[in-house]
Amino acid sequence: MNDPSSPRHGPAPAAQGLCGPPFCPRHEHISRRALLKGGLATAAGAVVANWGGLFNSQSIAAEAKQRAKRCILLWMNGGASQIDTFDMKPGRPTAGPFREIKTALPGYRICEYLPKMAQQVGKLGIIRSMRTQSPDHPDGIYHMHTCYKQSERMPHPELGAMVAKYLGQEDADLPSFVRMGPVGNAGAGYLGPRYAPFSIDRGGKLPPFTSPYLPAANEERRNELLRSMEAEFQRENPADPYESHRVAKESAWRFLRARSLFDTSKDWPAHQDLYGASDFGRGCFLARKLVEAGVAFVEVGQDNYDSHADNFVCHKANMQVLDPAWSGLLIDLERTGLLQDTLVVWMGEVGRTPVINNRAGRDHFIHGWTVVLAGAGIQGGVIYGSTDADGRDVAENPVSEGDLFATIYTALGVDPRTKHYVGKRPIWATPEGSKPVKDLLA
Amino acid sequence: MSAEVDFGKAALLWSLPWDAAWVSAVSFVGPAHVAAGNNLGEILLWKLPEKPGDAPPPERQFVGHTNGINRLVCAEDRWLISASNDHTLRYWDLQGAPGEPVKVVLNARTIEEAERNKSSGKKPPSPLEVEVHTQAAAKTIEGREWITGLALSHDQSTLITGDDAGQVVLFDRAGGAEKKRWEVKGWAYAVALSPDLKQAAVSERYPLVFDTGRHTAVKLWATDSATVQHDLTKDFKDMQIAAAAYSNDGKVLAIGRGGEAEGPNGKVFLLDPATGQKLRELTPGHLSGLTDLCFHPDGQHLASAGRDTLVRIWNIADGKMVAELGKPRGGQFKDWIHAISFSPDGTRLAAADMAGFVHVWQVGGRGEGMNLFSITCD
Repeated sequence: MNDPSSPRHGPAPAAQGLCGPPFCPRHEHISRRALLKGGLATAAGAVVANWGGLFNSQSIAAEAKQRAKRCILLWMNGGASQIDTFDMKPGRPTAGPFREIKTALPGYRICEYLPKMAQQVGKLGIIRSMRTQSPDHPDGIYHMHTCYKQSERMPHPELGAMVAKYLGQEDADLPSFVRMGPVGNAGAGYLGPRYAPFSIDRGGKLPPFTSPYLPAANEERRNELLRSMEAEFQRENPADPYESHRVAKESAWRFLRARSLFDTSKDWPAHQDLYGASDFGRGCFLARKLVEAGVAFVEVGQDNYDSHADNFVCHKANMQVLDPAWSGLLIDLERTGLLQDTLVVWMGEVGRTPVINNRAGRDHFIHGWTVVLAGAGIQGGVIYGSTDADGRDVAENPVSEGDLFATIYTALGVDPRTKHYVGKRPIWATPEGSKPVKDLLA
Repeated sequence: MSAEVDFGKAALLWSLPWDAAWVSAVSFVGPAHVAAGNNLGEILLWKLPEKPGDAPPPERQFVGHTNGINRLVCAEDRWLISASNDHTLRYWDLQGAPGEPVKVVLNARTIEEAERNKSSGKKPPSPLEVEVHTQAAAKTIEGREWITGLALSHDQSTLITGDDAGQVVLFDRAGGAEKKRWEVKGWAYAVALSPDLKQAAVSERYPLVFDTGRHTAVKLWATDSATVQHDLTKDFKDMQIAAAAYSNDGKVLAIGRGGEAEGPNGKVFLLDPATGQKLRELTPGHLSGLTDLCFHPDGQHLASAGRDTLVRIWNIADGKMVAELGKPRGGQFKDWIHAISFSPDGTRLAAADMAGFVHVWQVGGRGEGMNLFSITCD
């Protein structure tokens, strides 16, 4: 549905939704030989990808890692407080009880309850000047997942669906867009069900329908029978819905073969210290596994930052979970060579008010809050924008939802002005006037 | 020891203004002084007049804390002991020599807010400026995390603290030496010591939402062995117990549900400490959660405070509420009464009001000339 005749880019990249530089050079794409080596020949002669088998070969896995950029979204559901994390206001009436600590970036300090992240700031592009438009949860969640207002009534796709479309592997065993915990509310929107999220629970547990009813051999015989009957039926009744059904079934069968990847029971104990013993930490670890296996987009949600009351105990507990999980993810991605191709986004739907209310809480805030990027395409160690002395408004370099998404898409090599059509209506990946924040781009 | 009380005739004596930040802790220091701490780490001391009249100004400021004060207790009518988010426990000697005089503006927050909202047309009030003498701490004990729980044993020999590192510590009150330490799961929250010093009530919390790491518990510990005598967690499932106190005879343990609970669920529960069995549930609970509990020196009454800006007095024997002090301010956004304290003779009760006041009620004795008026702070 993208517009291949976009005047801004040449036909080939635009058709891919890719912008440049950097494009993915041909040699970085997985080779046909590698694909066949990792494939499974079916009784019908078709070859389907088998990522589980494919990654038994380290060299092939390494080749696949180079293939495309990926994205992990750490979603702070409810909206984390910028003043209590990355934009502290010591000595001001809005400060709250948390104290600052030094970071690896000289002169920049963050919350004392993010000590591990303090060592990772050299990897981070920190936007302290988000000025956004949707102050409540459903509209904020929608807006910060799509960069469009919910009230527009157009079914915009989430960031995950866009990334799945442009960076996902169409015939992979694994879904291209996986999410767990409290996450987005827009789905694939106008991109259609092919790019819809595959949702698992916050602990990484798969939904019950992913368990096969029969032993593998029986299942395969049944599938082959169905394939053959459908092929015969389609020869006599060629129509898109039948083909769509067949494609969906093939996709589901492939997923069943790869589903063991979601099982972290064996390798989690060795990673628990790094990521912290929490649902969210385990989710981050699974996200790392999934992007390593080629999943284009993984969203991991952390509940719940919506601290209209007891903001400080809420944030303190959440940060004690967040700090090891997020830093562990960055360390693990770097260690496995994936960080340069994996964009890690930390954000929620809103920030929190600088004013502390009389329930010891902070309310929703959209006039100056923080989003953090790291990894693929991002210049680390950059603090972009600022808020005023009390954090009541952006002081310099405001960033909108569209600007943020333009930055994210650019970092991932996706054209932020990619155009799609819904009926005859053109829709762009980011709203008119959105500009990537160049200072944050590597 | 205490004057005869008639809680039904309780009357507000003073609402001492101090709105630099939330007043978060309060304690009588002997019969005539009251000390309060706020969430900036400041502590002020007032000398209360014998009789009602104008609100007295504070006379001393205890300086040294660098973060919010969570609890204050007093020993020997002389030592004020404070627990803070700055990870320390500090002792202040009322007999210590006062230091340099400094100016304190008691309505600083109101002025700051009015100046910030000039566009509303409201003129900032005149500053309520007073001169106080500063005093440094006589002793500082370093902890590991926010010290949220602090209680003094009935014989005043032992302190118990609980912190957000999950550490429960017993100290020799006089010397400050550590006597016992153990660790609980999550953060230690409310703490109390039985009069015979043999048992400690400790609540635990780790206030995550929708995460399997979320944790609440309440347990009764044998202090000599640091082992659990009674685990009451199942009886108080998912409740953050914000306050605990033993009655003077040690036969009743009162605990109260905190956090921002839905509706009037900030209840007081009376337990038998010997068995851990629930004796009584006091109703109504505080709307949106309870914050503090305090036994009256007569041993027959208990005061509770909550996020509904109310202080309630309960008869322990029958569980009935005998008085309600203050007024609910209503609406979704309320202030809290953070903490309460009875004077040693039981004739007065002080309450730390988040809105920026220390309220002092006459609850018995000294009735002559009492000014039976009420004040609302909304």
